[in-house]
Amino acid sequence: MARRTKAILGGLMLLAVLIAGPASAQAATVFGSGSSAMQPYFEVLAAAYKKVDPSTKLVYTANNGNAGAKDVQDGKSAFAFQTRPPLPSDSGLSYSKLFLDGLCVAVNPGNVLNNLKISQVRDVFLGNVTEWQALGSNLRSPISAFGRNSTAGLYTFFQSAVLGGLTQATNVTQLDKDGEVAVALSRNPAGIGYVGLANSGPGSGVKRLKLEGQPCQASAIKTLKYPLSRYGWIVLPASKPNKAATRFGDWIRTSYAAGKIIAKAGAVPAFNAKHPPKKKAKKK
Amino acid sequence: MALASRTHRASRGLLPDQRAELMLGALVCAVLLFVLLLVVFVFKEAWPSFDHNGFGWFGPGGNPDQQVQEIYTSANLLRRPVYTFHAWPIIWGTLLTTLGAVTLSFVSALFVSVFVVEFAPEAIKRILEPVVRLLASVPSVIFGLLGVLILVPFIGNHVITDGNRRSVAYIVSLSGYSLLAGVLILSLMIAPLMIAVFSDGLRAVPRGWLEGSLGLGINRWRTFWKIGVRTARPALVAGTVLATARALGETVMLAMVTGGVSFAPNPADGLIFFVEPTRPLAATILQTAEELTSEPMRHTIFAMAAVLLFSAAMLSLAGWAAKQPMKRYGVRA
Repeated sequence: MARRTKAILGGLMLLAVLIAGPASAQAATVFGSGSSAMQPYFEVLAAAYKKVDPSTKLVYTANNGNAGAKDVQDGKSAFAFQTRPPLPSDSGLSYSKLFLDGLCVAVNPGNVLNNLKISQVRDVFLGNVTEWQALGSNLRSPISAFGRNSTAGLYTFFQSAVLGGLTQATNVTQLDKDGEVAVALSRNPAGIGYVGLANSGPGSGVKRLKLEGQPCQASAIKTLKYPLSRYGWIVLPASKPNKAATRFGDWIRTSYAAGKIIAKAGAVPAFNAKHPPKKKAKKK
Repeated sequence: MALASRTHRASRGLLPDQRAELMLGALVCAVLLFVLLLVVFVFKEAWPSFDHNGFGWFGPGGNPDQQVQEIYTSANLLRRPVYTFHAWPIIWGTLLTTLGAVTLSFVSALFVSVFVVEFAPEAIKRILEPVVRLLASVPSVIFGLLGVLILVPFIGNHVITDGNRRSVAYIVSLSGYSLLAGVLILSLMIAPLMIAVFSDGLRAVPRGWLEGSLGLGINRWRTFWKIGVRTARPALVAGTVLATARALGETVMLAMVTGGVSFAPNPADGLIFFVEPTRPLAATILQTAEELTSEPMRHTIFAMAAVLLFSAAMLSLAGWAAKQPMKRYGVRA
């Protein structure tokens, strides 16, 4: 009996040490939320950040950018990733640019179409054009347009950058996550949709279109020539931001290592250090 | 019993079993109180939305997706809150998916359970029953994934023709994300639940009643249909109510495969009707819950929740009422 009590006490103490240990080393778990288009970047960056700061554990919930910003406002998340610039509703938040990303317009690989004008994309997503023929494709079928629902940060960006603030038409199938749009396009020969850069790369089963003659690739995004170039943002509370989250953001924005990872993951580093001098930060 | 306990209490406090009785009673009261609080809270939160729209809330008018965006941005931009919301397409979508799936799975579940209970050889029975029970407990998101990767592309590429697409191209996109996909997968999900309850009911039919009928020279099929199934009617009602409740509340799978557009499929479109996209109530709550922090949106979301809650309550009530006249003859379920 006594031995058992001792064992239980010992176990409890061990548990207490386990719980209190990391906390006292000022490194609790840091919770973040936000854009689902930013999630692929977060995953590779967080994995690498473990080596930089092993005491910080980062957890990210992809609940869409606008919701993530509200989570930070409410103190539910320490940071958020967002795909659109700040709006008047973002009171009490500080937005910082992390790196450049592109919103790609993608189609099924079977489609011969290569290039579209922004005005053509607008016509498709406002429901004014419904036939592939009108866009110069070889397909003789109607267009199946895929988009995101109105709570997604990508949608907000698309709405302001392409639709001129108008609501996308009812004939656009609205999906919940960036990756779901890519899956739908890869399986629908007549599909067209807007997908983040990371989810439309090689192996995603979709084909990116040029917009206004500019490819949805790092080279054109870096120079801001690609019309749907945009910054990925980290959102922190304006007052008393979580230190670990701030450090994580600074590391992504400025470090050489993060720049390499960002480039590898398909986005474009914008502010990262270009040294160690021997190898330049990947420009591609 | 009551007398005895009173004397005990008077003489020397409570006996252990009385204490347990009181504890359990308190627990039951707590549960009841919790349900009451839940209902009060949901309806209190929902009231502003109903108040602003009146019965128009349930009616058609405009595009609910656009209304949702106006509602939550109105709070973001510190303007006057907007509440205008006409939920008919969403309610219609809920009715269609639920009724479609319940009808489809009721018919198949009835035949399957009759087969399992009365006609299947012992070996098949031994395999079939655990499999059905397992199927009943598969998480819905798995069905959702199967739907997105297999059923939806199949419907999009092989069921819908370009002619179909063209005929409604300016209004909705027929991409395979559809009412049909939702109904088919939903039936697959709720049928095992029905089969489990139906077979329990059929098994409880007194053997003697069936044997009496067989003894009169009536064949097995007719006997089972006229006596077994009839006697088990309360179980059929109970199983259907349970399954309908699950169909009504199903969220993730339907959000993944029905197309996410608050569009009311129109039976006047002919067969295309089945492959038109829609979005039921629970899936709408899921997709708009991200805007819960905006006050008018919160009230709107809770209004949808209140409609769901009310439907579920009415469903149980209807099930209870339907069972009443059958009670005298049937077995209990």
